[in-house]
Amino acid sequence: MALSCRSWLSNEGGKHLFLLFWLSVNVLLFWKTFRLYYYGTQYYYLHRMLGLGLCISRASASVLNMNCSLVLLPMCRTLLAFLRGSKKVMSRKARRLLDKSKTFHVTCGFTICLFSVVHVAAHMVNALNFSLCYSEDFPALNVAHYRDEDPRRFLFTTLPGVTGFFMVLVLFLMCTSSSYSLRFSNFDVFWYTHNLFIVFYILLLLHVTGGMLKYQANLDQHLPGCINPNKTSIDHFPMSKCPAEPFLEVYTESESGMENNSKKICNEAPKFQSNLQETWFWVTGPLCLYCAERLYRYIRSNKPVTIVSVNSHPCDVIELRMVKENFRARPGQYIVLHCPSVSTFESHPFTLTTSPTENRGTFGIHIRVLGDWTERFRELLLLDPNLDTEILPILQQRTYPKLYIDGPFGSPSEEVFNYEVSLCVAGGIGVTPFASVLNTLLNDWKQYKLRRLYFIWICKEIQSFFWFADLLCILHDKHLSGEKYQALNSRLIIGKPRLKLLFGEIAKCNRQKCVGVFCCGPNKLSKELHKLSNKICSHGTQFEYNKESFS
Amino acid sequence: MGQIEWAMWANEQALASGLILLIGGVVGVAGQFRDWEFAAYGVAAGVFVILLEYPRGKRRKGTTMERPGQWFLAAVVKLFGPLTRNYYVRAILHACLAVPGGFILPTVLGTVNLGIASLIYLLAAFRKEEWRPIQAAQTQKGHVGKSIHQPPTNPPPRPPAEHRRKQMDDGRTGAIEVTATP
Repeated sequence: MALSCRSWLSNEGGKHLFLLFWLSVNVLLFWKTFRLYYYGTQYYYLHRMLGLGLCISRASASVLNMNCSLVLLPMCRTLLAFLRGSKKVMSRKARRLLDKSKTFHVTCGFTICLFSVVHVAAHMVNALNFSLCYSEDFPALNVAHYRDEDPRRFLFTTLPGVTGFFMVLVLFLMCTSSSYSLRFSNFDVFWYTHNLFIVFYILLLLHVTGGMLKYQANLDQHLPGCINPNKTSIDHFPMSKCPAEPFLEVYTESESGMENNSKKICNEAPKFQSNLQETWFWVTGPLCLYCAERLYRYIRSNKPVTIVSVNSHPCDVIELRMVKENFRARPGQYIVLHCPSVSTFESHPFTLTTSPTENRGTFGIHIRVLGDWTERFRELLLLDPNLDTEILPILQQRTYPKLYIDGPFGSPSEEVFNYEVSLCVAGGIGVTPFASVLNTLLNDWKQYKLRRLYFIWICKEIQSFFWFADLLCILHDKHLSGEKYQALNSRLIIGKPRLKLLFGEIAKCNRQKCVGVFCCGPNKLSKELHKLSNKICSHGTQFEYNKESFS
Repeated sequence: MGQIEWAMWANEQALASGLILLIGGVVGVAGQFRDWEFAAYGVAAGVFVILLEYPRGKRRKGTTMERPGQWFLAAVVKLFGPLTRNYYVRAILHACLAVPGGFILPTVLGTVNLGIASLIYLLAAFRKEEWRPIQAAQTQKGHVGKSIHQPPTNPPPRPPAEHRRKQMDDGRTGAIEVTATP
């Protein structure tokens, strides 16, 4: 029992702890800002005018500030790939957190949507109160031009109103196209609308420059509640319609300290100044970082690659070998392909199946042809050789389309080498990250920590094994020819793998060790592996689960 | 871009707009806005739109993921026949439902979003898309690939592996030698 807790803790503990930390920071920010506006003396008059709406809108704004800045960071893929590669900087536990970067991005995005709803609702109420509680005493505080002005006018005649309106529209478009089913069926819609984020950020930076909410700047000369000898009462807020004074009790507490002074006399009328906007401090950094990363990626991917060879494999898979100057990649990383002849704006990620080495600069990918982009790409690559090529067999000039690649980017499969024992389970074309791992192991396995590798490849059809026929043959031969190789024992089994038994077997053969479990395949498979990794605990073996995701 | 099914996106948008209209209506009523009757309308219209849009329609190709518990509402929506099947009707309906929300502040956003959803539905209608209910018998069991050879028909003892392999109809190019364990 204790051991299974240990397994669960090592698998789930890190990310849950991080989530808890992020949640606490959000709650703290909300609470701190709420209290500032609720009890702060500099906001006394504004609070009297607007009520609870002020506190809720500002508190949700501070949460939004933080999440709008955090949401960009997991998308800096080059930076994350760099962090993954620098083993001295990050421990394995920290690198495993990087696997969850997309989930964190989604969590922040969801929080932004939720708190935007709260923020907008609170501001609607603020608009109503600005209109109803128009103050003749403190004209500087007003947003309305006269009492009972239509609140809809604030939306379209003020900068924060207009920018806020369009921000909600952009967020609406981005949010509705980000649902799982829409990403799954119409990825294009998701991709193009999600790139509207830059409009959102520009509007956000303009939104906060409106300066509609003001604080009192001269508290020394005019403490709220002081007596103005020229006037009979301090404020003329019509009590029936406007929010009641919620913090009067607290105020009288602080006032009681001044009872000896009796009521203070106001030296001058209150002066109001616009709030200092925090958003620029929160958002500018990550936004600049993200823009710099995009620029760097654009420059890096501007030179086209040279396609060396194209091979067609059964079950709709093509293998592409390429070469590019100064291209370095670690096994398990992926690249993003962009082919303008197929589509001007679309790009698609593919895991590298062969990484470039010191001796050989070519690298390769295996593409499974499933959608319209890959089909068109295959058509362009596998030109019909019937017509002219028979005339000049030596100078067979294949005109391949121009191809650009972005990357390489990191993935959890890079960790295979950092465990003493690893279990890799692949479903169908999900074998690609592990193919590059096996390719690397063929060349030089001694420099890595990895000593034993269990590799399970599940395919619907036997023909699929031809995708890596050469690789499997070479591995098989190396094993047979007697090299001292603590490597694979090969079995072919027809039917679903019995994973529970397999885990038990692995646990028995690797007592007291930490086994890295890697999965790249359909969701059901990965869920089962995840469950088993958390549960199985026999013989002191611990299973750490790392999942590769395709979307 | 040619293969996008606009109706799916319009459905997500309309559902979200219904929710926004509902929340705006609640804020309008609770905040006691002037002309709060429009806010009350927003609540009712929002609920109606959510109920209408909750059941997801079937995609033209590929499997469609159902929303949890949508079968009941899908049966109700199916009853209205061409009124709910045709996306022109839906586009006009949403446009009309959206208009009264524009009269008070809290429901303005719901109006605009529902208007956008109505436009996308119009686009879907131009492309001759239709709402069809997801049938229950859509899922099939994953079939095993053809190249896996038939299980042996004769009981053990069976002839050795080489003889069995010769009987296989699918031609292998012999690149891999694998030993099949029973």
